[in-house]
Amino acid sequence: MQGLIEFIEISLTGLGMGGLYALTGVAFVLIYKATRVINLAIGEMLMVGAYLFFGLAAGLALPWWLAILFALAGGGLLGLLLERAVIRPMLGENPISVFMVTIGLGSILVGLVELIWTADPRRLPQFLPDEPIFLGPVFVFPEPFWSFVIAAAVIGVFVLLFRYWRGGVALRATALDQGAAYAMGINVPRVYALAWMLAGMIAAGAGMLLGSIAGLSPALALFGLTVLVVVIVGGLDSVPGVLLAGILIGWIESLAGSYLGGEYEHLVTFALLLVVLLVRPWGLFGTPEVERL
Amino acid sequence: MSGYKQIAVLLVLLGMLFSGVVVAEEEKPKEIVLGASVPMTGPFAFAGIQLNAGLNDFVDWVNEQGGIEGHRVRYIGEDTGYQTDQSVAVFRRITSRADVNFYFGDSTAFQQTINRELERRDILLTGASFASELNDPERYPLQFMLGPDYSEQVGMLLEYIAEETPGASVMLIHSDTEFGRDPIRAARERAEALGLEIAGTIVTPPGASDISAEALKLRRAGPDYAIFHGYVLSPIPEFIRRARQMRLETKFMGTFYTMDQTMIDEMGEAAEGFMGVMPYRYFYDESGPAPIMDVIREINDEYRTNTYVQGWLTGLLMKTIAGETLRAGKALTGSNMRETLDSLEDIDTGGIFGQPVNFRGNSIPLGRIYRADVEAGRMVPVSDWIELE
Repeated sequence: MQGLIEFIEISLTGLGMGGLYALTGVAFVLIYKATRVINLAIGEMLMVGAYLFFGLAAGLALPWWLAILFALAGGGLLGLLLERAVIRPMLGENPISVFMVTIGLGSILVGLVELIWTADPRRLPQFLPDEPIFLGPVFVFPEPFWSFVIAAAVIGVFVLLFRYWRGGVALRATALDQGAAYAMGINVPRVYALAWMLAGMIAAGAGMLLGSIAGLSPALALFGLTVLVVVIVGGLDSVPGVLLAGILIGWIESLAGSYLGGEYEHLVTFALLLVVLLVRPWGLFGTPEVERL
Repeated sequence: MSGYKQIAVLLVLLGMLFSGVVVAEEEKPKEIVLGASVPMTGPFAFAGIQLNAGLNDFVDWVNEQGGIEGHRVRYIGEDTGYQTDQSVAVFRRITSRADVNFYFGDSTAFQQTINRELERRDILLTGASFASELNDPERYPLQFMLGPDYSEQVGMLLEYIAEETPGASVMLIHSDTEFGRDPIRAARERAEALGLEIAGTIVTPPGASDISAEALKLRRAGPDYAIFHGYVLSPIPEFIRRARQMRLETKFMGTFYTMDQTMIDEMGEAAEGFMGVMPYRYFYDESGPAPIMDVIREINDEYRTNTYVQGWLTGLLMKTIAGETLRAGKALTGSNMRETLDSLEDIDTGGIFGQPVNFRGNSIPLGRIYRADVEAGRMVPVSDWIELE
């Protein structure tokens, strides 16, 4: 019985990280679906969001809720800026060129953060509840629990927006067929900007949650590497695939870390990636026609 | 030309030549060059910037005192971004444009990489690394450390634990890096010798991740103490917070790079009661005579980190070693200075260490255990100076 309770505790802990993988994965897929850009700077965008919150809440001493709102707005603005200044001029170029540009963008964002806040390790002001949660005999840490709840709620809101909001419908239409979207009077460049802005906001939110769980340093950007695994496993162009893969990888990492040791966490994740690439290279729910780089 | 004239011209020429030599010798300044690969950007910038300031301040101070045996000290330090290839490039650049006598390295990887080159150029090196592997005079004859190696640091913590709570259980928590794995085997052996129980080891993956699953392991083992190694800050505060959420009574400890006051301050409330090993006096530690710490406090109005103090220690040891070598009439080559280092006993560090120090192998196995007092914003010593045999 004790073993079963432990297994449930470990699994629930993994869901917290899984929720963050899924959330950041949604930001990645949003950009890919709308603009066909593989954005390798997603980890750095997430890190910038966490630092924005740090600067506002710790540096300017704003109340945490106001700092969160401004950091989300800052993340959205960053996405908008990147799309307008860097990505839009690259439209029509070879996908590899755009892909490489996003790698460069990541380095620039890390450099900017280090210039403004230095590379010193920091601690984010706590904004998640600190009281442990008991589900019957099962103990759950509050940080991963609330992270999961918030990530799930945000994802739920976005799913509803995609379904019912005019802008969300335009996004889906553009993702399906750009030519048809143009023909129907949809302002496609504006949809591109919208996708990057929303992705920037989602990444900033995920960054704040991750920073509150794992501490703050430019190394936070490495999270993007696991998110890349998540989107490849789930399918580059599939939101449900990314949600499932995020939760799955969070759970598997947690089990590997607990039963095998922390040194196996990333090993298991990348082994899974290898298997998926060999067996189903378009991911669990991706479109087989998706171009691979 | 008559014979007299020829002799006169010859004498004049010889005189000019001789005086020229003398002038040249007088013009050539006697100097000792200290080169350094310093991480002033990147993840270890917090240490490198302070270290660089410490080295600069030491050099200014020692030159004001007349240098070392009449030699002025020149410091050349360049940023490496904490990248080994950059550190090597900086080493090559500095050593190619100056006759470097003494060098400071910024990482274990650099110190391992540059070892053969040191022997080829006959330069003595110290550095920021406390890797146990470097504590081997056979393999690293031209290197020494600025304190105890990581195995010795954990050894001191275990000595303290054995004294405070005989038979206690200890969890070792380390990062999955060379840095993190360094002291684990030696810690197990020493714990056994001291009658302590190793409750287990928890390994955390490098990079940002949630350590909740690992914290559950801590609850399962319920150790009396947990020693962190291979970290600077995260995930230490996160672990402590999780442990408190689980109502664990475990006492947490850390090693050198976690123990600076700035890192303890970053931990916030989680730092209360956090302990660790530190070989140097803290900037604000005024217990006991420490003339060099007094100089440091005189130069600086505000708190300076332990890596700043480490810069001064580098300079002081260089001063002692180079001074003794020069007094023995030997050139300042790496091998000569190593011979001097091996002959030194009870080295005075001006109070940076709490007592005179001796090298064992390449390290100085001396340190003290401190505990964080969050309200006072200080680290308070809880042990005497511990010198490992």
